[in-house]
Amino acid sequence: MSEPAISIRNLTKVYPIPFKRERVVAVHDLSLSVEPGQVYGLLGPNGSGKSTTMKILLGLVSATSGTTRIFGRDSTRVESHEEVGYLPENPYFYKFLTAGETLRFYGRLCGMGGQALRDRVHELLAVVGLEDAEHRRLGGFSKGMLQRIGLAQALIQEPRLLVLDEPTAGVDPAGSRDIRDLILQFKARGITVLLCSHLLGQVQEVCDRVGILHKGRLVCEGELDKLVAIENQTQLIFENASPELLARFEAEAAACGARLVEKSKPHAPLERFFLEVTK
Amino acid sequence: MKRVAAILLLLLAFGAAKFPLEQRIGEAHRAAFFHGAKLNISLREQIGQGAFLAALSGFRGVIADILALQANDAWENTQWSRVHFLYKQITTLEPRVTVYWEMAAYYMAYDAAAAALQDEKQPRQLLRVKASREYMQLGREFLEDGVSNNPDRFVLYNRLGHVLMTKLHDHYGAYEAYTKAAQFPDCMGYEKRFAAYELAQCPGYEAQAYELLLGLYREGPVERTSTLLKRLAAVEEKLAIPPEQRVYKPPTKNP
Amino acid sequence: MSDSPTTLSTPAAASLARHRAFSLVRIGALAANTLLDLIRQKVFYFLIVFALVLIGCSCFMDFIRPELQFQVIKDVSLGAMSIFTWLLSVLATAMLLPKDIEDRTLYTILAKPVPRFEYLLGKLCGVLLLLAVSTVIMGAMFSVVLFAKEQFVVAGLRHELGGNPAALAEALKGVYAGTFSSALVAGIIAIYLKAAIFAALTLFISTFASSYIFTVVISVAVYLIGHLVPMARDYCLSGGGGFVAKATVAVVALLFPDLQLFNLTDDIVAGNAIPLPIFLHTCGLGFLYIAVYTCVAYFTFAKKEL
Repeated sequence: MSEPAISIRNLTKVYPIPFKRERVVAVHDLSLSVEPGQVYGLLGPNGSGKSTTMKILLGLVSATSGTTRIFGRDSTRVESHEEVGYLPENPYFYKFLTAGETLRFYGRLCGMGGQALRDRVHELLAVVGLEDAEHRRLGGFSKGMLQRIGLAQALIQEPRLLVLDEPTAGVDPAGSRDIRDLILQFKARGITVLLCSHLLGQVQEVCDRVGILHKGRLVCEGELDKLVAIENQTQLIFENASPELLARFEAEAAACGARLVEKSKPHAPLERFFLEVTK
Repeated sequence: MKRVAAILLLLLAFGAAKFPLEQRIGEAHRAAFFHGAKLNISLREQIGQGAFLAALSGFRGVIADILALQANDAWENTQWSRVHFLYKQITTLEPRVTVYWEMAAYYMAYDAAAAALQDEKQPRQLLRVKASREYMQLGREFLEDGVSNNPDRFVLYNRLGHVLMTKLHDHYGAYEAYTKAAQFPDCMGYEKRFAAYELAQCPGYEAQAYELLLGLYREGPVERTSTLLKRLAAVEEKLAIPPEQRVYKPPTKNP
Repeated sequence: MSDSPTTLSTPAAASLARHRAFSLVRIGALAANTLLDLIRQKVFYFLIVFALVLIGCSCFMDFIRPELQFQVIKDVSLGAMSIFTWLLSVLATAMLLPKDIEDRTLYTILAKPVPRFEYLLGKLCGVLLLLAVSTVIMGAMFSVVLFAKEQFVVAGLRHELGGNPAALAEALKGVYAGTFSSALVAGIIAIYLKAAIFAALTLFISTFASSYIFTVVISVAVYLIGHLVPMARDYCLSGGGGFVAKATVAVVALLFPDLQLFNLTDDIVAGNAIPLPIFLHTCGLGFLYIAVYTCVAYFTFAKKEL
């Protein structure tokens, strides 16, 4: 069996409060595992320990106890970062650098260089749709463009795992949809994605599996479809159904002991409406 | 907390190691720069706290320049005591900059001394002469201090020789100063000659002066200036050298 | 974008090349990036101020004697060089870490296979490069102005003393002796070293400082106290004084660098030559400081929770 992309075992992080005896437990005995190729959504309210967990996984913060592994390698070791691309929440980067320079910089940090790096930079700029912005400085970039350059830098060394912290925070719906599509594209390429987000709708669209953190504890975890499906309910949507037909359905259902819970006209998602209007 | 203590300890341990090292390099600097920057507390009182700190922080030269500009103003306004006061500070700050000693001495021994002779506020001529002489002495003191701070340079010996020769008429002192200056390979060409001229004017040293002048005369036509010939003639006269042994023979007029 | 024809290459056999524990390429990338970022922030504008200082002290000093004019140009230029490189070093270094943390750029860098030591070293090298470039430019500007002034004075002397070759030669000798000397280079190197020590020190302070202002204030305090270290050392080595006073002063002498040792320009402008062995010892001490401050910076940064 292949190694899990992420394996977190009994992770606990305690922050001491300076000059006080109290301590804050940010993550409490967390264990979870993400299989290669999965898109895993880590959900939770603000302060639930999502970012801390990500930072521990990336070696930015040290764990009080427990282990974190990336493709079987101890994630506190720098070498393990070769397999990871990370996009933090609201990244800014060096605003005096151009998009091309930024990507080349991150490429060199990963030991890349020469023609291979130049090709990779062009490839990634095309993937995130910033070919025209290669020679523009990041200082003039919109939020969505910054987020896309962030994704490109995360992918520069062709990592097998992507860690994305609120990738669509502050991005407009069009940009948001682009990022969602990119995540789906990564998934199709076999890249494992760990996604932290507040936007549950979006998580629902892309994630295979989710874990919900609350006050540092993993309160729920599982396949998305199974978690959100209401086992004893079924949804039917008709087109051109006459009131008579509907009345017959209702009567039939009541006769068989089923209860009609809701009858309404479905709405087009606001997102689709917005995108059509702003096209 | 443990980490902070460890880092502090580490820095202290490094401090203990570097302490003697810095002490040694500091001494070496002081030796190389001779008197160097031994700034004292009295200087702090003189130039004020801020300038003193600036002087300590590597801006000694700049502070000295600013004081020199102030002294220039004072000189234009003929405030001689202020010029003296400022140059005392300047030379304390920069004892190794010979131009400051030179200028200080020049202002005192020449400008202030000359001005004192024409001081309209002083009706008595005798007191004017006395004041003038005092300024010349101040100039000499600057140069003597300067020489003791810069014994490795010819220029202040040369200037001391000038002041003693032209102002204070201390011929033996001037001879000594020029002789010292002449010992430096980069000195002026005339140092030896001037030393000899001055010694020739010291009663009791005629024989020694004769040797010096003769030596210079024999070095060739470059040294045979009119003053040298005049001094040589005078010394030969005083020593009653027989005419046939005299080196210098005044050109005889053709009948 | 989703309909873009471009697709991603498959991950990642390429990245499985062996990771190196220490890589000059990564440090070089970080240094070049830091330098480029600082240059594009237009830090070199301070050179205009330096040029104005140079022009000021060379053009408006005609009322004083030429020897003193050279003295003023050298004192003021080297003093300005010293203060500018020091300021540049402290201000540029102090913002490196806080800015990277605030913009979360640090997270993206450390999430790559970059050891924290390399990150610090790369940043430091970037600032040192910036300081080197500025020192060279300022040194060149200074040399040009001094040379121009020298030629101006020489031309004046030739005109004045043209009829008297001996006097002209003497006067020219004085002028040349008062302008350029090889010791000036040593003095400028010492200015650079002092700024470099401060870059390492400021980087160290910024690894634990809570804010940019804090870092700058502490660096300035070290600058002021560092110049008093020789006095502190003399006091420690002298007889007399109570134990508490001595111990306090000793801590100052131990914890702070002796910055007077890097103030060579005053003495060099005064015409002193510095013997090569002493100069090399001074440089060695400077490198030692840089190394020690970089190491302690790493000790604090290695376990920093970001």
